[in-house]
Amino acid sequence: MQKPASYRPSMSRRWWLQHQHFVLYMLREATVVPLVFFAGCMIAGLWALNSGAEAWVSWQAFMANPLVILINLLTLAASLFHAATFFPLMPRVMPIRIGAKTLPVNAIVGGMWAVVAIIAIALVAYFIWRA
Amino acid sequence: MSQTKSIRVQRYLPEQEPEPFWQNYEVPFDESTSILDALNYIKDELDNTLSYRWSCRMAICGSCGVMVNGIPKLGCKTFLREYGTRVDISALAHFPVERDLVVDMDIFMEHLEAVKPYIIDKSKGRPTGESDTYRQTPAQMARYHQFSNCINCGLCYAACPQFGLNNQFLGPAAITLAQRYNLDNRDKGKRERMAALSEHDGVWSCTFVGFCSTVCPKHVDPAAAVNQGKIEAAKYTLINLLNG
Repeated sequence: MQKPASYRPSMSRRWWLQHQHFVLYMLREATVVPLVFFAGCMIAGLWALNSGAEAWVSWQAFMANPLVILINLLTLAASLFHAATFFPLMPRVMPIRIGAKTLPVNAIVGGMWAVVAIIAIALVAYFIWRA
Repeated sequence: MSQTKSIRVQRYLPEQEPEPFWQNYEVPFDESTSILDALNYIKDELDNTLSYRWSCRMAICGSCGVMVNGIPKLGCKTFLREYGTRVDISALAHFPVERDLVVDMDIFMEHLEAVKPYIIDKSKGRPTGESDTYRQTPAQMARYHQFSNCINCGLCYAACPQFGLNNQFLGPAAITLAQRYNLDNRDKGKRERMAALSEHDGVWSCTFVGFCSTVCPKHVDPAAAVNQGKIEAAKYTLINLLNG
């Protein structure tokens, strides 16, 4: 049977501005941009460490630049936002079953935030103890 | 029903106009008037040329999916009382429109067929005869039960920007049904489904926008099923690689 005439609406380039859900999705995806900068900083740090004292000191000076600190604070905020959007998805994608029961969503999400908190506190405590 | 509401419906009448156009209707409503009731009122009382699909009126048949103010909705499960002055009804997004609110869902049916959404069991132990049946415990059923609530309404496809950009993507409902049967202990057909699921247009075209799960009228959570499918597809690809 021949199909009747039809038209297919095309998607506008601004499709993601049409609903808050899509805007939040794009924001979640965009968190990778400051993270790439941070990863670049870390790789440069490793390279500087290997290249000698002079390179290391100039890398430290670069990291202490207020603009770099600002971007890295943005990276921290972006990572926390990404975590806040991603953690609730985890129990849906990897439901944990113990016997016949599924572990409650709150327990998995809460558990992941607890791990984040423990690592953050341990790191801060370590640096305070070192200082 | 003393109150009325102005409703705009996107019309597409290819024999009259090559492009779709908006038409206004004044529809009486009360607390219980659904979008589908409004469309039926228009058809019966105002304009019998309007075309749309519907059947059960109780969110089971999945026929009456439309966009209401740009969001995919089941007409029978969405009420005029939920909306202010703007009520724009158009055909489900991302599907070719044949006439008014009637879309061509063939591509969805093809994707559904590709994942073999039925129990496949060629083993010797499969039930034969009337007195012999599969056994399944409530715990075994719980693994897939949520995914089996899909009514094939297509709202998740209208919500998915990846399907909008590339209609070869198997899409949320088809992948959900593949996962539903993969998780069923009566089924032995997982290998037959994994080839289609593991392709680029299978699970990997999903970027977890997640709007499919937001709009799903049956709370199936297709985004969860698709992303569970990614774990399975990764395992399938790795095992195939190791086996040469």
